[in-house]
Amino acid sequence: MNPNEIPYLSATELGGHIASKEISPLEAVDAYLSRIGEVDSKLNAYITVCADQARAEARQAGEEIARGEYRGPLHGIPVGVKDQIYVKGVRNSDGSKIRDDFVPDFDATVVANLRRAGAVILGKLNMSEFAMGDPISSYYGAAHNPWDLERNPGTSSTGSGAATAGFLCATSLGEDTGGSIRGPAANCGLVGIRPTWGRVSRYGVDGACWSVDTIGPISRTVTDCAATIGAIAGYDPNDPYTGRAPVPDYRAALTGNIRGLKVGVVKELMDPALGLDSQTREAVEAAIQVLAELGAEVREVSLPLAQQTGAIVRTITHTERVSLRPEWLRERPQDYHVNTRIAFMTGNLIPGQVYYKAQKLRAIVRRQVLDLLDEVDVLVQPTSSAPAGKLDFTTGVASKESAAQALVEGSYRGPYSLSGAPALSIPCGYTREGDGALPLALQIAGRPYAEVTVLNVAYAYEQATPWHNRRPPI
Amino acid sequence: MPDLSNEEIHALGRSVGLDIQEPELTQVGYSLNAILEAMAGIDVPGANSVEPLPLILPNPEVQDES
Repeated sequence: MNPNEIPYLSATELGGHIASKEISPLEAVDAYLSRIGEVDSKLNAYITVCADQARAEARQAGEEIARGEYRGPLHGIPVGVKDQIYVKGVRNSDGSKIRDDFVPDFDATVVANLRRAGAVILGKLNMSEFAMGDPISSYYGAAHNPWDLERNPGTSSTGSGAATAGFLCATSLGEDTGGSIRGPAANCGLVGIRPTWGRVSRYGVDGACWSVDTIGPISRTVTDCAATIGAIAGYDPNDPYTGRAPVPDYRAALTGNIRGLKVGVVKELMDPALGLDSQTREAVEAAIQVLAELGAEVREVSLPLAQQTGAIVRTITHTERVSLRPEWLRERPQDYHVNTRIAFMTGNLIPGQVYYKAQKLRAIVRRQVLDLLDEVDVLVQPTSSAPAGKLDFTTGVASKESAAQALVEGSYRGPYSLSGAPALSIPCGYTREGDGALPLALQIAGRPYAEVTVLNVAYAYEQATPWHNRRPPI
Repeated sequence: MPDLSNEEIHALGRSVGLDIQEPELTQVGYSLNAILEAMAGIDVPGANSVEPLPLILPNPEVQDES
């Protein structure tokens, strides 16, 4: 195979070639490093590329495979990791000047788990400063969307979306608080799953919001996503909130059979009055029709607080984020991007009773979500109100109205951030050519610890549609 | 609910050790007032009696649906 073609293989395809020794892990890493050298000046997806370390790891993986010690589908696969997830000996910046010189001396559990699966850590990926969800706040410059370099790749895992869609890694890890896995997946035409809160360890990950953060994969296909989450999920004594439920073989569970499965369409999040773009709505409606044609039983359901979940999420996450290292804002305010500084100062001023009310509302939202999931197997809705927007380098908050609109946008992903239920984003179409042919996305959510069901619905949909075959123009 | 004024927001900032100056003071005001207004507008009957447990606690009995 022409080495230039290697990055365009899915992780699953590449894994097959590595298992059969047609491609060595070193050849794969070198192919990705070559493409990073050619393309990343446009995407700015990486903060740190671990070229030497990755090549050494790839050599080791190749030697293991040659000895017959094949570990599984991620063995020798080059993976990118968001720059808030610790990799021993590699700078972990959180996208911030404040952390520019921080080098952890241990691997995050998810990184250790990736290594155990034989994966090669290719580098650390760009992100919104301290995962605050602003596309221009990274100290290392904004990442760009491979589908249109002038557009937002999705926040806060900006580099995870840009690198995976731009074929600069085979699969990646992001971190989702209010939607930072699902948003980049949606904007970049990828598959990303926010796992059940507690399914994946957060040990060795700089927190954004302790009670909402989750680590999960952003990948090019559902099968790649299943392989990646299968490698990182599981109980971790270093994260007491991880569950002890056994980790299934997610890939093996992808049957594509969803006949008789009950699908609920959240009507509040299909409401044009919420600001839902017409092409997004049409694409999601068409996707729901595909699920019905595949044998699912589709019906409309109501999640009464859905349209308010963005405000609830923001209240909780803004408050909790600033509590992580409050002294930095007082001692080094000039070292934050102005947008982060405004957000952190805002978080400092949210009254305790408002935060407490948000937690009560969170409990109600969780009950509403779980009650619905007693009636149906999965819930579906758009991942976002619209395709990727233009990167706007104007700093600051323009008005109270624009701040309020940002809260509404968070409501598309808010129900699952608040409930802790797993939620996946998958491409479900593209805008018309005249509108840039940008990815549109469907969100699928399921019961806690039922990632298998969510992934299988996504797999059935993916196999019935052509969207995952498109390549961005870069 | 009336918006907090810049003077009030500055005073709130002082209460937590922040000296917020213009132009950021006005922008913090936009953000904070948007959040407060949105939260004040959510009125769910019975919410006061809800226990605000933020988490799904890990359940060792839970099995994945494989």
